[in-house]
Amino acid sequence: MRKISLPSGRSRNNLLTHAILILICLITMVPIATTILISFKSQPDITRYPPVLFPCDTPEKTFDLSACRWSVEGYMRVLAPKPSDESPLGFILTGNLLRVYLPNTLLYATASALCVVILAGMSGYAFSRYRFRGRKALLTAILAITGVPLLTNLLALYQMAVNLRKSPLPFDDRIFLIVVYIGFFLPLSVWIAKGFFDAIPRELEEAAFIDGCSPIGALTRITMPLAMPGMSAIFLLTFVNVWNEFLAGYLLVSKNEYKPAMFGLYDFLGQNLINLQVIAAACILIAMPIVVLFLFTRRTFLKAMVEGAIKG
Amino acid sequence: MQHTKPPRKPLRFLRNSLPFWLILPTVIFLFVVQVYPALYTVWLSLQERQPSGWTFVGLKNFDRLFNMSIFGESAGHTIIFLVSHVILTMVGAFIIAFLLSRKIRFTGFYITVLFIPWIIAQIIVGLVFRLLVAPDYGLLAGLLQNPDLFPPNGLSVLTASRPLPWFGEFPFPPSPAMILLIIASTWRAIPFVTLLLLGAIEMVPGEVLESAMIDGASLWQSIRYIMIPLILPTIIVSILSLTLNAMNGVGLIFSLTDGGPGTSTNILSFTLYTIGWGQLQFGRAAALALIMAVINWILIAGILRNNSSEGETN
Repeated sequence: MRKISLPSGRSRNNLLTHAILILICLITMVPIATTILISFKSQPDITRYPPVLFPCDTPEKTFDLSACRWSVEGYMRVLAPKPSDESPLGFILTGNLLRVYLPNTLLYATASALCVVILAGMSGYAFSRYRFRGRKALLTAILAITGVPLLTNLLALYQMAVNLRKSPLPFDDRIFLIVVYIGFFLPLSVWIAKGFFDAIPRELEEAAFIDGCSPIGALTRITMPLAMPGMSAIFLLTFVNVWNEFLAGYLLVSKNEYKPAMFGLYDFLGQNLINLQVIAAACILIAMPIVVLFLFTRRTFLKAMVEGAIKG
Repeated sequence: MQHTKPPRKPLRFLRNSLPFWLILPTVIFLFVVQVYPALYTVWLSLQERQPSGWTFVGLKNFDRLFNMSIFGESAGHTIIFLVSHVILTMVGAFIIAFLLSRKIRFTGFYITVLFIPWIIAQIIVGLVFRLLVAPDYGLLAGLLQNPDLFPPNGLSVLTASRPLPWFGEFPFPPSPAMILLIIASTWRAIPFVTLLLLGAIEMVPGEVLESAMIDGASLWQSIRYIMIPLILPTIIVSILSLTLNAMNGVGLIFSLTDGGPGTSTNILSFTLYTIGWGQLQFGRAAALALIMAVINWILIAGILRNNSSEGETN
């Protein structure tokens, strides 16, 4: 794969390219940077008109680094620490966001991602290694379903949840939500998994068969270890998608204590219309884990994204 | 490729039925969460909730839906939103992808930084942009609400009503909140399309462009007449999937404008929510969901066609 190079004035062009790209990166970062800035302001600096970018002005000067009034008030109000004797740190965090909503999101994201990896691994392997009747039709059907958004099916899923709640069957909002997430992120993952298995040479497995290995043995000893990077990419992608999903978590869960973090955030907006620093702090706290996860796994993540984007 | 004969006989049954058992759970999940609800939506769109239960009303729900003034209006909003969002995103993403495809260093770094918006949740993106324009206290409020810059009273993005429409009922020009919604969604969508286009541009052989430039074609001409035709399938797929994503994304609207001011950022996806869960008109909402599903399927069919012409489905 050759990169495009243009013949004349290459080094000056490159410098220009870098300059434009850095500028674009900076512009991209503006909304994020302002949010971080707002999250560290105190209430009096938030409710000022006209607003100031940095809370660093004094009556004499517009900007004085030593006079900056940074504050963690927003974070304190989100986390609501209370002194406690039982905790080794001397305090416990009582904010609903951290105590209720984030653990829920973590549960939904981890459970859905694990199930998606297992199911997509199984069917991706089958689609990649076996030729059977209806294979192509099934693959195309799954590819088509990949594009179907959650939104249009949500109405029916909501009614299903209402009916199931009334029925004598044991029903749990959390399990239902996880099943919905699995169903929605599975099709894309099946395609990604198939792509990853296609890239593993069959000859390796065949050599194992010849040496007397059973199909299951070949799968667990040869193919699975080689497929691990692909599987972890699927896990990451599903994890992030579920973490960021809003509407299903908002509508399909009836009990407040089972609602996910995105609902908590939306709820926060209603309670803190002018306490911008509280909203900003909550945004940062919820986006942070995902951004950090992305930065550490960007190679795997982007690979899965490209793989999935081409298909879906 | 044909698979080789199994080495031992007792394994044959297992090997032959194994793919079935491997795929079965996936098919069950897809049936329960995707196929059944889709059929349920069709059924729901023909029903009406009465105190005694659901009753069949035929196509009345569609008729009532079309007679709701919000339906036509939000269809207009959707068109404005999608057209400007897609154009802005495609242009922005193409420029970034083109720059990244040049023989330069640090592309990995740039891609990482530029990709961050895509992994931030829609709800959070909405809040982040809301913080910028919140009435009086948002960071840009000082600038926007300055009467000298935006006469006569300054501009409060989240509360300013829609200007009088130019073409009858069609909601153009859009409200300031709609413009903000377009900017926010474009900011989030650009990385995704950049990645798609970058993959395609890197497949274009460098010699083709070089020889065109040596023959005297300008940079613009070689992009317009050589590169764009070569990556056209990817451009079409990008436009279609961008439209698909944007049409069904609703989290951004929830946290950015909540459909307001008035109904000026009510696109169809948000209207589906307000009719269904706001007004509890599930029959009508199902009718709207069905209409949207048909549009989605047309887009999906377009994506599939363009992908298979590249020989993706094997």
